[in-house]
Parts: sequence; structure tokens; C-alpha cells
Amino acid sequence: MRKTINLAALLLTTTALVSGCDKLEQAVGGKAEVKNAAYPEQVFWGDTHLHTSNSVDAFGFGTRLGPEEALRFARGEEVEASTGTKAKLARPLDFLVISDHGEGIGATKALYDAPRIAITDPTMLRWYDLMHEGPEGSLKATGEMLAARANNTIPAAFNDPKKAEARIKSLWDDHMDTVERYNEPGKFTAFMGFEYTLMDRGNNMHRNVIFRDGKDRVSSIIPLDPSGELKIDKLWDFMDAYEKGTGGKVLAIPHNSNVSNGLMFMFTDPTGGPMSAEYARRRAAREPIVEITQIKGDSEAHPFMSPNDEFAGYGTSGWDQANLLGNIKTKPGDLPGSYVREALKRGLLIEARTGVNPYKFGVIGSTDSHTSLSTPEENNFFGKHSGVEPSAKRATAGFVPGVNSGRMNWQSLASGYAAVWATSNSREAIFDAMMRKEVYATTGPRMTVRVFGGWDFKAADLNGDWVKAGYARGVPMGGTLKAGGTGAPSFVISALKDPQDANLDRVQVVKGWVDAAGQSHEQVFDVIWSEMDGKRMAAGGKIPAVGDTIDLATATYQNTIGAPTLATVWSDPEFDPKQRAFYYVRVLQIPTPTWMAYDAVKYKLTLPPEIPLKHQERAYTSAIWYNPS
Amino acid sequence: MTINDTVRRLLKEPLVHFLLAGLLVFILLSGRAPDLGERRIVVDERVVAGLVGRFQDSFRRLPTKEETDGLIRDWVQDQVYYREALVLGLDQGDEVVVRRMRRKMEGMAVAEAETQTPSDAELQALIDNDPARYAEDPRISFEQLYLGADSPDTRRTAEQQLVLLRQGKSVPALPIPLPGKFSNASGADIAGQFGDEFTLGLRNVPVGQWSGPIASGLGLHLVRVTERGAAEPPKLSKVRQRVENDWRAAAAAKAQGDAYSRILKGYDVVIELPK
Repeated sequence: MRKTINLAALLLTTTALVSGCDKLEQAVGGKAEVKNAAYPEQVFWGDTHLHTSNSVDAFGFGTRLGPEEALRFARGEEVEASTGTKAKLARPLDFLVISDHGEGIGATKALYDAPRIAITDPTMLRWYDLMHEGPEGSLKATGEMLAARANNTIPAAFNDPKKAEARIKSLWDDHMDTVERYNEPGKFTAFMGFEYTLMDRGNNMHRNVIFRDGKDRVSSIIPLDPSGELKIDKLWDFMDAYEKGTGGKVLAIPHNSNVSNGLMFMFTDPTGGPMSAEYARRRAAREPIVEITQIKGDSEAHPFMSPNDEFAGYGTSGWDQANLLGNIKTKPGDLPGSYVREALKRGLLIEARTGVNPYKFGVIGSTDSHTSLSTPEENNFFGKHSGVEPSAKRATAGFVPGVNSGRMNWQSLASGYAAVWATSNSREAIFDAMMRKEVYATTGPRMTVRVFGGWDFKAADLNGDWVKAGYARGVPMGGTLKAGGTGAPSFVISALKDPQDANLDRVQVVKGWVDAAGQSHEQVFDVIWSEMDGKRMAAGGKIPAVGDTIDLATATYQNTIGAPTLATVWSDPEFDPKQRAFYYVRVLQIPTPTWMAYDAVKYKLTLPPEIPLKHQERAYTSAIWYNPS
Repeated sequence: MTINDTVRRLLKEPLVHFLLAGLLVFILLSGRAPDLGERRIVVDERVVAGLVGRFQDSFRRLPTKEETDGLIRDWVQDQVYYREALVLGLDQGDEVVVRRMRRKMEGMAVAEAETQTPSDAELQALIDNDPARYAEDPRISFEQLYLGADSPDTRRTAEQQLVLLRQGKSVPALPIPLPGKFSNASGADIAGQFGDEFTLGLRNVPVGQWSGPIASGLGLHLVRVTERGAAEPPKLSKVRQRVENDWRAAAAAKAQGDAYSRILKGYDVVIELPK
């Protein structure tokens, strides 16, 4: 009898769900307006790429934390990770985009929760049984799902969008409510978004889609499913339709060009024909920024194209051998279409021919973490997915333990963050800064970096209010030098260490240009570094290394080398007004321990020699472009 | 006519054969005769309204005639299989069914918490329980001059420049990409840009005059605090969104625990361990 009454009481309360909703909407609608500064005074830190248990692969990898835990964690709260350890950020984030895979959103969880008798497909039954065996079986099942995706052998019943529509609608609706509840303008910004997981034979062409708007507009769509698509056009059509239908705004961020086998930044259009001005215009408008660094490697530059850049090739180990799913090897000819610096150069060449630069994009970093935990800090890294959350085994495990992916987990980078120069911490201000590319990337540390390009900046400008002057007489990162200048362009550059991290080694300007013969070139200039007038005086063009204070026995370093801040006004010594060009800034930290070095101390491990224990973390700014008039 | 005659005649009737055979099947298969109700599936207005309602929740429109027919067909199929499976005892000893039922019960408990709207008094109690968590940091307006990494040289420069600043003269500072002037900045904002040490240092300098040097994660600074707000106790109206999120997250966890203990009370749990 008692049981019957309890059940009845519970059933009654579920109907209260419907009437409770209106009140929530009102509370959200009554948010305070935030004040916007006249120009960006502060950089805001966030992650534009985070997966929760709603992502098909994340759930299979063992992640059990959902969007609410992801938001609470980013906001600075302590949560319990999927593997049971406590997790907390040393410093909260300013904003977060949860970007669960639109394709089959919630499908793995739905399969896991289904009654076994209802599963008729033998492959799905196998995955079901593997997942219920425990974490190892679950990793195996997920590995098989990814392979099936590459070979186009996903059972139709697993991701039948028509059948799944009701599930996805209700999941997306709950998700939007959660995001709205945690979006606090002025304090913490929670964006609506999803990942469009476009792939061609396992070659990565993924995009994260981010909305400027709240649930009132975004509820008009559900995440787009790329199944069966090989071209990006459907996503752009979807974005056009969304903006036209709602008056809202949406942008897309390509990521992991490094595992696209050259497809991300093609010279041609996707069919192999010459790229049209219309295609270039659409790409530039829809994809104003690119994710340059993340856990699955760094896509800035590769030694193959940049043999003279001694710092090229950071975070490329393992990622330059094959495409995302490891089913097609990477040929040297694929590399140029896979790295950002080369894309910026290709953009100039295509612009010279068509009048439009398709690759005039800014850059950000993000994690692509599949644990619901955004953790790009080396000493607080929760790994790519829940199968490699902190443990004594993970440093020597495979990228997906138990599955031969051809990659090792130590090739995962604890990287990165998106830094945004916005006028306030709000959806509108941060989104607009992304659209104008006033953003930069770091591999995790929060260095502050400012760049202005103009025609008359002098060293003396740094003694006055150079930020105000920068906006008045020049353009910030992401901009194009104003026409009509004379002489060579000059750049005000100022970099500041993360107050809770390592000193800076040097600041470099990376220049790319196209010569009269239609050839593209690149050059890296060291523009300022620590002790440049002292013991690191440049001898024969090369600067002596900054040194190394790391103690591997304790995984610590000292800020007794390097500098807390480096600022200069730099003018291009090789400027030719007839050549289109771009300039971006790269800031290097002094050497610090990698996450594997911290693991080695924490778990008392002796790691094999191929595992790197030291590295130089870095920041990459968006470029400033020059167009000959 | 004798009883024997009647029995003999009845035994020749095909209908009786059928009924007897049917009874035998039921006895063999289920070990018990089912209630009549379990063999009757009624699709009434209430059922259809439920199906249509769920469709509407998901698709924001009414189903078409064909879609409604499809929903009903699906529902009937579900019921037939479900009841037949229960009759065959397929729910017994199936771990997935057990876990699924458990999750449903837990889900109901959480749904209860998620839909409740906390009263202001409840939220206020949460704040009172941990005012520091919700307190708005005291706002500070200040100017800062950055002098570089901490060293005996920098400290000497700081002393000289402090004298000049107090005489109203201007002095050079290193160009860093942080503002020289902050107005009404929160402790969290300042700590994010300068580190915790600097935020603490700012609290201990007098208002209105150049002081320092104080240290940050970047090096040494001279500072002038122009205005220091008082630490105010947190006001519900200002922190409602955050408190309510905390309340909801805690309520969901608590509801699950409470529901379990409530149900557990109705059971005797006997654990018999081998000696």
C-alpha cells in the first residue's frame, strides 16, 4: 500500500514539470544588462569546444557528466569526474561553448539505456553488450563505432535521424534550458552551439557552430546532422536559413585541420575545380576564426613547409601521419592543406586571383575535451576522454586504450584556450569580437597579448596610452591595415606572462607574402626577447636559447630566466608595397614540464625516452593583413 | 438424456476442443490463467491524447491523421509485446530491466526537484549558510604602474618613483597590455589579471595616495587606490540566478537520496553472509 502511494505522489510531481517552465523563462528573461566598454580593455578566457555525455563518442569513452556539470566546472565549481576523482579549475573560465556532436546526439546513451530485447541489429547488440561489460568494453565499442563511421558501416538503426527526431528535440530543449540557466551576462557566458562532424573517408572537416542568441531564437533549429554529406555547403545553407529565419547570428569554427589530409584548406573548391569568388566569400563570411591548437595536436605550422622555423612542429608528433580516423596515411602533398600558416598564405594567392580571400580568419585555441571538463593545464589535465582521465597508466596508454588507433595518449596536448578581446563578458560582445577576429589562441597558459598595426607607430608610443593610440591610428589583431599608408607598416606589440605561470622567452612576428611571380613565402622575425641586450645578444642571426630551469624530479621550474613582459614597436624591414601580406605574433614561454612530466612525479613513473617531458607553451594571435591598393 | 450423453455430445463440439486446447496452452506457458483485462488492449481518448501530447511536445505541432494512426499502431505493438513478455516472465532476472526501473525511479525523484521553484526564504537560507560564496567582492578603483620583475634594482627604482609620484610628477611605466586605471573592479577580475597576491596587497594600502611597491604574479607595481567599496553582505536579488542553480543541483542530489531512504524503509533487507 505504501508503495502505491509513493508512486502516485511521484507521478503527480512529474506533471508539475509543465507548469514550472514558465517561471524559469521569466527568471532568465529578467537578466540585467551589462555595460560595454568603449573599446576592449580586457581579454576573456574560454573554451569553444567541449563535449559532454550527450556526444556519441564521449559517452562511449565513459563520460557520464552532462552539460550542467560542464558548466559548473567551467564556472569554477568542484565536480566529480566520471572516473570518480574530484576536479576543479585553478581559475574559472569567462565563457564556455558546449559543442556536442550534432550527429546522433544522445544516441550512444539511448542505446545504452535501451532494453536489450529491443535491439535487433547484430552490430548494435555487440556494442550494447560491450558497453555493459564495463569501461574497457565501452572503449572497444566506441573504437568500433568510429571505425564504422570511417567505413560508412554505421547500422542505419543507430542513427536514423527520422526516428531519432523526437529524442533529439527533447534533448536539445533540455540542453538549451541548462545553458540559459548558467548564462550570467557580466559574469559568465554560456553559448548555444554544437559540432558539425563533417568527414570524408575519415578525413576531418569538423566545424563547431556557435550562436550569438538565446533559446528564443535557437529553439527554431536542432543540431544539423552531416551524415552522408561530403561538402560543407549544407552547413552554410543551414546557417543562412537560421539567420534569415530568426534575425539571429551564427558562426562556424573549423578545427583539427592537422588530421584532414589536406582537405581543410584546399587550394581548389571541394570538387577540385578552381575556387570561385563566391565560394571564397561564403567561406570567409561563415568561418571567421579557426581553432589552431587543441588536445588532438597543434595545427599552426609543420617543419615540412617551414624548415627554417626552429619552433614549427609543436604538437605535430603522431598527428601528421594519418587522417583523423587513422584509415588513410598522410602524404607530404597533403600537409600544406592541413596547417594554418600555409592556409593564410594560400588565402593571399586565391585573393590575388579571385579578389576574395577565403582564408582570412582569426585563430583561437580550445580543448575538444570529451570529459565535460575543460582542462588545458599541464598539472591539472583530465585528458581527451574519460578512458584517459588521470591514472598511472595513461602516459603510456594508446590514445584510445585497447584500440589500435596508431596514436599514443602521450601525443595528446594539454591545450588550449580561446582569448577574446571583448567589450564585456556577454554573448553579444564575445561573439562580435570573434566575428572581427580580435581573438588569439594559447596552448593553455593565460598570457595577455596585444598587437596593433599602422603606418606611423614609433617606439615612443609605448610611453603613452598606446592602447588608445593603437585603436585610433591603427587596427588590432584580426584587422586589415588601413589603405593609403606610406613607408613600411609598424606594429605595437605587447605580451605579458600569465600571472600564475611561466615567464616569456621571446616574441616573434610571422610574415607571409606573395611575390610578383605569384609565389608565396614566409619568414619568422624574432622581434623582442628576454636579455636581448645581455647574454642573449643575437650572434649570426640566431638568438641563444633562453635556457631551462626545469627540475624533472619534482616537475617544477623557476622564473629566474625569461621576462614577465616583452613589448616593442616593430617595423617590417623587407616591406614591399606591391606584395599582399599578413603578419601574426607568436609568443613563446620558457621551457616548462609537460603533463606527462607531472604524471611521472605524481605516480612515480619512469617513462620511455620518446615521451617529451619539456616543452615551450605559446600564444598565436590572429593576423593583421596588408592589401596593396 | 444422461450427463454422460451431454459430455459425449460436448466433446464432439469443435468449439469446446478449441477452448480446452487454449486453456492447456495457458496453463503450460504461464502457469496461471491471465486476467481478462490483460488480454484486452483499449485505445481510448485518454491514450490518444497522451500520444498526441507527446508528439506535440517534441515537434511543436499536431500530428497528421496518418501520423496519429502510426502512433497508435506503435503503441498497440508496444503493449502487445510488453504484456506478452511479462506473461513469459522476460522481466525476471534481466539486469537491464532492473537497472532501467531503478533509473526511472531515480529520475522521478530528480524531476520532482528540478520542477520545484524554491522560495525566497529557502534561497536566503542557502546564502546565510555560506555568505562568503555569494558575497560580491568589494569593488576597488585604482591606478597601477608596472615596474618589472621583482629585484633589488626594481625596488630601488620603485622607491625613487614613489617620491616623484607623491610630488604629483609623472614617471615612466613599462608598457603592459593591462589598463593603468581600473574603476569598480571586482576582486575576481583583478586576480584574473594580476594574480591573488596583488588582490590581497591592494586591500592593505591607504586610499588616495600612491603606495607600494606591491607584488603580483608579474612583478612589482606602484598603486593608488582611489575608491574602496565596503564588503557588502550578498543580496538575494543580485545573486538569485547563481543561488538558484546551486539550489537545484543540490536539491536533485538530495531528492535522490531521500527517495531511496523513504522506499528502503518499506523493506526488510537481510544480508546472509557465509560464516
